[in-house]
Amino acid sequence: MVERSQKEVWRMTPWLVIILLLGNFIMMAFDSREITTGQRVIRVWTQSIADFVQSPVTSITSGVSGYFTSIANLRSAQDENSQLRKEIEELRLDVESAKGLTEENQRLKALLDFKEQSKLDVLPARIIGRDPSIWFDSSIISRGSFDGVKLNMPVVANGALVGRITAVSPLTAQVDLITRDKSGLGAVIGEIGTSTALGVISGTSKRDLLEMKYVAGSTDVQVGQSVFTTGQDGIYPPGIKVGEIVQVISGSATTPHQIFIQPAAKLGSMQEVGVLLYEPPQRVPFDKQLNPPTKEKK
Amino acid sequence: MEQVKLTAALIIAVLLQWTLRNIAEPLAYIDFPLIIVVYAALQRNSLRAILFGTFSGLAVDALSGGLLGANGFSKTLVAYIVSEIARRVYMDNLLLRIPVIAGACFLDDAVYYGLHRLLGQQPSGEFLIVASYTLIGTTVAGTILIVVLDSLMRERLASRKREMFPSRRQTRRRNPIRLGK
Repeated sequence: MVERSQKEVWRMTPWLVIILLLGNFIMMAFDSREITTGQRVIRVWTQSIADFVQSPVTSITSGVSGYFTSIANLRSAQDENSQLRKEIEELRLDVESAKGLTEENQRLKALLDFKEQSKLDVLPARIIGRDPSIWFDSSIISRGSFDGVKLNMPVVANGALVGRITAVSPLTAQVDLITRDKSGLGAVIGEIGTSTALGVISGTSKRDLLEMKYVAGSTDVQVGQSVFTTGQDGIYPPGIKVGEIVQVISGSATTPHQIFIQPAAKLGSMQEVGVLLYEPPQRVPFDKQLNPPTKEKK
Repeated sequence: MEQVKLTAALIIAVLLQWTLRNIAEPLAYIDFPLIIVVYAALQRNSLRAILFGTFSGLAVDALSGGLLGANGFSKTLVAYIVSEIARRVYMDNLLLRIPVIAGACFLDDAVYYGLHRLLGQQPSGEFLIVASYTLIGTTVAGTILIVVLDSLMRERLASRKREMFPSRRQTRRRNPIRLGK
């Protein structure tokens, strides 16, 4: 009796394997499409469940490591304190002068009838989890839709671009880094408005390297120059620092430069990030921008 | 009872996989769910092994930037192959299990990487480097974990050994001196 049931199980197993493999493959094929608007329900559910484990573990480990770090840092605390006091005084002076500059700037803007399009609100978040697969580098942050986080919102660390939100659950969100091969963003070398070195940055799948394409070969590009977002991609706001150029393979009059950039944010070791509560202006699809042909009455 | 213990081990493995990378990056090179899946497959219960493979793979995929289902696919396949081998070859010896863990780990990585390339995705890192580190990490951790799991499942192991190698009924030795009498 037992033997027969075992045989039945062995006979059934290959079929079950085929069904499961097929199911997984269909899911993969469905998931491999470029995701821009929708998100997978299974990811949202798992993120919500994982939050109950990841948040306490992160809090405990950061608490323990923080305790030991604070003991280690106690020796240099006195010197650091006096140094910080000095810096605070300097910063106070800077803030005062910045206030004056801001007021002047506002007055000038008002004179020129400019209005600020948007002020970016930054929502601080903690990284509570990293990609469980070693092959990818996404991160899970401690803010979700309850805090106002939405899909495709940009994420920054130390004022530099980190990536964008690709999945949101009520309490957590998933961040895809700019180094991922499928990521892309419009960028400019130098300041917007003055520089003409526009191009597209994409990930290289290497953890500390980005590639900038389509910069005209006739443009002067130097190693060490900073690269900023242009806002033309419809996801990231303009003016955020992406990184610095580390290598340039010069192009010619007919071929573009090949530029490699090191991200300014420390993507491998960041613990705190900021979510920019930024929603890009809505774009009208190209076919709707065209005026419909008008029929002339004869 | 054994079923409950293995399921609990799988859940713990998935939770470790979710959390340990944030504590220390090198721990990501250990594939904890794969170790449990291989252990389940070595128990010659193929049905349980492939279900473990699918569910643990999907649980990891759901929090990963990779394709949803890629880990589920690779782990299901690994579970089936290992359980088929275990059905045909006696592998209760730890020394035989070590190359099985290593082979399963490499196959899992190769299938996972291949599926991503097939569907136009580029995982980060060089395949050989990442696969080698994962192979070392998972094989070392897997060997230790299998010893621990074996000690937890000792009762079942003993009964299985009794089943496979039943002790011969010992015939009573007759005293030759007495016979001579």
